[in-house]
Amino acid sequence: MTTRAGEAMPFKPPAAARESFQGHYAGFASRFAAFVVDVVVLTGIFMLALAAINFAASILTGKSIDFNRSNIWVVIAYFAWVFIYFALFWGLNGRTAGGAMFGLQVLTGDGGDVSGRRAIVRTLAFPLSFLILGLGFLGILLGDQRRALHDVIAGTVVVYSWDAQAARLRYLSRSPSSGARPAP
Amino acid sequence: MVRGRLAPQMEAAAQAVAERVIILVMDAVDLNVMLARIDLNAVLRRIDIEEPIDRIKINEVLDRIDLNALLAQVDLNAVLRRVDIKEPIDRVDLDGLLDRVDVNQIVQQVDVNEVIAKIDLDAVLDRIDMNAIAQRIDVEALVEHTDLGAVIARSSSGIASSLFDAIRSRTIGVDEAIARWVARIRRRPYTGPPGPPTGLRAEAGS
Repeated sequence: MTTRAGEAMPFKPPAAARESFQGHYAGFASRFAAFVVDVVVLTGIFMLALAAINFAASILTGKSIDFNRSNIWVVIAYFAWVFIYFALFWGLNGRTAGGAMFGLQVLTGDGGDVSGRRAIVRTLAFPLSFLILGLGFLGILLGDQRRALHDVIAGTVVVYSWDAQAARLRYLSRSPSSGARPAP
Repeated sequence: MVRGRLAPQMEAAAQAVAERVIILVMDAVDLNVMLARIDLNAVLRRIDIEEPIDRIKINEVLDRIDLNALLAQVDLNAVLRRVDIKEPIDRVDLDGLLDRVDVNQIVQQVDVNEVIAKIDLDAVLDRIDMNAIAQRIDVEALVEHTDLGAVIARSSSGIASSLFDAIRSRTIGVDEAIARWVARIRRRPYTGPPGPPTGLRAEAGS
């Protein structure tokens, strides 16, 4: 098997992916990256929603609404949306958009699915990890189960939900040398 | 004159008797008992093995021997237990001998099915450490160089999934680097990411 002409080369996974970490507790970098993606996604959706409301208002009333950060209602709506975003996705299947992108899943401490109630508790406890100068996240670096403060409060853990080894084998199967070399 | 007439008949009779006696003796002799009484090592030590081997047309001899019948009569295990195989083998120029042997011809004479039927495959497999064999297989090379890779590639989606694979793999690499760094500061050994949770472990085991 060889790569067809014009077909883009797959991205090479690093040597760390030689092992499958599926089900193991996720590390700090993956979780932080997933959170950043979530913030970008939910903020983007919120901005689009505001733009849509502004557009609809300008059509219906002929006046545009000035949404800015000093508007308390915009701030309240934003935090409400953040709450809904995280609580909804964690409660549905333990994955937000960022979590799905980085192959992370929120589970209960014994590996079960997160209930809606637990997802709400986790979402409410989430800001606490920030409010104590970020010390709530130290557990991810130092703890045996890599749990942040909000994980401990909600009784949850975050695990890798994808198979790194399978990904590496997929990469090898797509590489140009795959099947091209004669058997020794 | 009488003697002249009788001589051929007597010779024929004697030959018939001799053949009959040989057959009876061969039937009566228990090869295993006979071999058991011979000090094979002493015999082998006294034989200049190279000299008769050089004189023998091995392929012709092998043609005339019914190997299956011969092997069926001899308790090879008992013979092999008594012989110090290493010593005569050291004296034989095996390369020279093997050059002269038509192995294909020998193999054609042997009833392989019968030989295999005698082997206790379960006992053989019990002695093999399959896990050790599996660990010696380079799965990555197997996937990279065979059509198995194509099967895996067909079962997965395209460039988007490979982009996600790469992003996830690199972030896991960073996770591992940070974890190793923290372990070094705490002077603790690091053996990989902890987990999985007990529930997932039980699921994987079932």
